[in-house]
Amino acid sequence: MGATFSERLLGALDVFFEGVMRFLPGLLAGLLIITVGVLAGWVVKAVARRALVVARFDRFCESAGLTTILSRADVRATPSALVASLLFWLILASSLMAGASALRVDVINRLIAESFLYLPRVLSALGILLVGFLLANFLSRAALLSAVNAHVPSPRIIGLVVKFLIAVLAFAMALEQLEIAKSIVLAAFIIAFGAVMLGLAIAFGFGGRDVARRVLERQFGDRGGEDDDDTFRHV
Amino acid sequence: MSASTPLPEDLRTRLAEVGEVDVVVGIPSFNNASTIGHVVRAVQAGFAKYFPAQRTLLVNSDGGSSDGTPEVVQTASVADLATVLVAEPQKVVHRIVTPYHGLPGKGSALRTVFAAAREVNARACAVVDADLRSITPEWIDLLVSPVLRLGYDFVAPLYSRHKYDGTITNGIVYPLTRALYGLRVRQPIGGEFGLSTALLAHLLDQPVWETEVASFGIDIWMTTTAITDGFRICQSFLGAKIHDAKDPGVDLAVMLTQVVGTVFLLMESHVNAWRNATGSAPVRELGFEYAVGLEPVRVNVERMLGIFGTAARELVPVWERVLEPGTLASVRSLAEAPQSAFRFPAELWVKAVYEFALAHHRKAITRDHLLRSLTPLYLGRTASFVLETSDAGAGEVEAVVEGLCKEYERLKPYLIERWEV
Repeated sequence: MGATFSERLLGALDVFFEGVMRFLPGLLAGLLIITVGVLAGWVVKAVARRALVVARFDRFCESAGLTTILSRADVRATPSALVASLLFWLILASSLMAGASALRVDVINRLIAESFLYLPRVLSALGILLVGFLLANFLSRAALLSAVNAHVPSPRIIGLVVKFLIAVLAFAMALEQLEIAKSIVLAAFIIAFGAVMLGLAIAFGFGGRDVARRVLERQFGDRGGEDDDDTFRHV
Repeated sequence: MSASTPLPEDLRTRLAEVGEVDVVVGIPSFNNASTIGHVVRAVQAGFAKYFPAQRTLLVNSDGGSSDGTPEVVQTASVADLATVLVAEPQKVVHRIVTPYHGLPGKGSALRTVFAAAREVNARACAVVDADLRSITPEWIDLLVSPVLRLGYDFVAPLYSRHKYDGTITNGIVYPLTRALYGLRVRQPIGGEFGLSTALLAHLLDQPVWETEVASFGIDIWMTTTAITDGFRICQSFLGAKIHDAKDPGVDLAVMLTQVVGTVFLLMESHVNAWRNATGSAPVRELGFEYAVGLEPVRVNVERMLGIFGTAARELVPVWERVLEPGTLASVRSLAEAPQSAFRFPAELWVKAVYEFALAHHRKAITRDHLLRSLTPLYLGRTASFVLETSDAGAGEVEAVVEGLCKEYERLKPYLIERWEV
């Protein structure tokens, strides 16, 4: 009976220590990977930030309008600091996942594998949103400038409509990329886009009949007798 | 022939048939059938009257006209040269009509003309626009003779123009070029020029012919290059400059973008030339100056001020990235004035132009947006100029332009101090 108890106790302890001994290298390896990852992240962050400053990345972002977008989103960091931080967190997240997978726990491994499979879609969606917002700002400003120079009434509305439509399009594309309620997103986008266009057409037709007439006359009317245009040469 | 300026084989063959010539006159064209006949006849009469002993060649470099421009060039002729007092007409008047290759625009057309002139070893070359209604045979003499007889390399035009014509020239390009490079070339983007063989070869060898400069900024590029690279420059008084009615499809913002954009680009590549230049020196003027009656023009000041006022409200987020806070505040306050009292002070205008040049230099915003956002300011300044000079004669208007030039020169340190190397 006693032998059986001690055997069982020792056996249980053997199994426990054997498990610990099997788990411990993985844990140590995982901790080592994470520690190295953190250190690598800090080094990459510092190097990247310095390199981006030297390459005048902040000035480029300023001219591309990215800094304005960030400031509008209440992001105070400079674009170079932001990219450097992004690299740090990417390396840290990668090392955390690599460290966790070193534990060789089936559930964790499965979750990591699934998140890796989904990661490209998340990155694509983020990319689409970023490009969409940049494009929206760029084209909205171009539309505003063209409308001002063409003496179109309420040019700001034209700029805002362009920005809104491109932002909606980018958002719908990002959701589609994430495979979130694909059919609903598509239907919602078509309805929203159609509604905006119809609303604009009705507003332009009824609310701004006089404006519409003037604009159309200016664009397509008989210019022969019109004395609205200058006849002098600018160059 | 440089490898960088290739000529089509058929053009080379035709030039070989012509042989060596002394004078080449080039006419770049695109859909100018209604006016180019007159220009060709003026050139033909100019050759016969002023260069009877020289071998001459007319080159029409066409951009693919669909209105029969090349046919008009081939057939246009002065029926009886005796009517223009030509005693001994030349035996042969060579003329070549050729399409140009490369980027669309006047620059590519001129490149073909220059390459042809170099191919036939021309001693002088002149360029005249195809839409001129006021060109006379004397223009050819006035553009070519300073090169052939006086040894000048670059002959810029001088015109009698309506006081409101050439407002981009008067308000930006002339005073800015003069303040930057220190020479008073009154019509730096005139369109008509005379060039020596040396300058022509120098221009052909520059690496700009495949760039935006060659497309639309060719006139100011040639003038600036002639100034900064030390060529001998003079100006010839040609008389009245009357164009064909303007093309309604030509957008002011596009035109301003092309011309001012080129000036700003040239500032980047010639920074050492303009940083050290102080004041300005006159350029020798040739020809017999006389007053001419000019066709009245229509100016819609209300529309200009409407665009300026709208921009002062709507373009603040754009202008904030270009103009200094003080300049922006002053510009915005102008929009509150009634039309009759509207004045855009010269000092404020010059500061604004310099700040746009600085913003272009530091790439504050997308280049096209930057230059397009200058258009409403330019219209505001132009409206002010029109209101200010509504009762002024030609001499008084020229005094106003001269005052603006002095302002550009006075404020040049403002530009230099802020220009980052």
